[in-house]
Amino acid sequence: MIRVENLTKKYAGGEAVRGISFSVEKGEVVGFLGPNGAGKSTTMRILTGFLPATDGQIEVAGAKLPEESLLVRQRIGYMPENVPLYPEMRVEEFLEYRGRLKRVARKGITERVGLVLDQCGLSDVRKKIIGTLSKGFRQRVGLADALIHNPPLLILDEPTAGLDPHQIRSFRELIKDLGRDRTILLSTHILSEVEMVCRRAIIINRGKIEASDTLANLAKRVQAGALQIEVKADPVGAREKLAKLSEVGGVVELNRVGEWVSFEVTALPGKDIRGEVDGLIKREQWPLRDFRREKARLEDVFVELTQE
Amino acid sequence: MTRAFWTLWKREAGAILLSPIAWVLLTCMALINGFSFSQCVAYLGQGVREFTVMQIYFYIFHFWFLLIILVPILTMRLFSEEYKTGTIEMLLTAPVRDGDVILSKFAGALSFYLLLWIPSLLGLAVFQVVTHQAVPVAWIPLGLSYLMVTLVGMLYLSIGLFTSVLSKNQAVSAMLSFTIIALLFFTGFLSYLVRDPGWREVLTYIFTLEQMRSFSAGQFDSRPVVFYLSGTIFFLCLTQRVMANRTLKG
Repeated sequence: MIRVENLTKKYAGGEAVRGISFSVEKGEVVGFLGPNGAGKSTTMRILTGFLPATDGQIEVAGAKLPEESLLVRQRIGYMPENVPLYPEMRVEEFLEYRGRLKRVARKGITERVGLVLDQCGLSDVRKKIIGTLSKGFRQRVGLADALIHNPPLLILDEPTAGLDPHQIRSFRELIKDLGRDRTILLSTHILSEVEMVCRRAIIINRGKIEASDTLANLAKRVQAGALQIEVKADPVGAREKLAKLSEVGGVVELNRVGEWVSFEVTALPGKDIRGEVDGLIKREQWPLRDFRREKARLEDVFVELTQE
Repeated sequence: MTRAFWTLWKREAGAILLSPIAWVLLTCMALINGFSFSQCVAYLGQGVREFTVMQIYFYIFHFWFLLIILVPILTMRLFSEEYKTGTIEMLLTAPVRDGDVILSKFAGALSFYLLLWIPSLLGLAVFQVVTHQAVPVAWIPLGLSYLMVTLVGMLYLSIGLFTSVLSKNQAVSAMLSFTIIALLFFTGFLSYLVRDPGWREVLTYIFTLEQMRSFSAGQFDSRPVVFYLSGTIFFLCLTQRVMANRTLKG
């Protein structure tokens, strides 16, 4: 659906995007992650034909940019950051206007508007003036606009920014739902959102792609999955024995309470050390009162990949 | 014309009519027009025979002053507002050509501009009602006068459209177009001062006031028509060039 090779975007002040390559296949829901100012919005604006790229090959929805920009724009539904809308128009009127611009057949337009109003939960406010709507509803109008011509590919730039927790939840459900029969690329810096909605993530930082993989594989890449144990043992001796285990990457003593000492044991990338550590504790017959593993979260991946 | 053009034109015209600017402008125009028309009539009432009321009306200071001020106010928001609020991104990621966007904005502003001149025609009707006389209307001078108003408006509006695409700031756009339009208008007056006949001839080509005087007297001249139309096309093309670059940041 999307194929990008060596995409570069230069501004007068420097480079926003530095030679990135990635692709999104049909039917995928992909999260586009990165800290603020990483180049997410710039990349999305280029993919939608709004900004010209300085260099690189881009193919979106089967058409090349910038040569076939009209065709690309016909095939994508784009929801820009902050959802700019005409405040003086009514919801229904606005969607009809957008439908006509996006070449929805004259006959089917009323039906199509009704459908997306329903889909986005806007039926109650269809006659309201956009300027008077709350942020959550405006966001929905933006999504309805992206959907009005029934595009196979959705590009959403921070679709849940500025919503309250209830709105975010219902918005995510909506996006999940849409992902069943469409390809979606959505950017965000809220990581839990990606974990809930996407199957794959592309992490971008300072204009470069740091990682592009499924969430499960990404989690394996970091030294998360740290194990916390608390045993009754000689702190120095126990630490040495733990460190000698073949799959252990590091041992840090956390604190001592009386004779009890607790350690954080980290695994080498991709290893599960629970069995090995358990074996050692049993061999040494250390009394044990805490044994738990933190699951690797996308947040750990993100921080590790994008830190200075 | 494409379907996109009509859809966009409708939205442009709608946006102007739904803004308070439209109604303030219409009211002010009607007020100043009425005032200047009554002055023309008062002037003729002193027994002047060499001019018609239309000739004086289109030559009088109020008219031109209004025209130079009015166009920047009308055009300043066309692009600047869309850049400021970000709606330009939504507009240009729909499958529409840049040309359709530019022409529809131009046509929308032109439609409202023409609407603004309707009250001036009412002056004639009021005149008939008040004096209980069937005033003979000279249709050709009248038509030519309004043709000239339209042509001048087209050039000035295209200048305003061009300056609007240059900045996010409406005040900056308005000031830029006001400066260009005022310079263009007042340069014509130099033909009174310049001694070199070659230059004087060049200056008369762009001397809007003199052209208006001959048109309102019923004398058609194709040179101003060519000048205003080509000027309009020139500025519309410039607008397209700037828009294609999308380099606007400030």
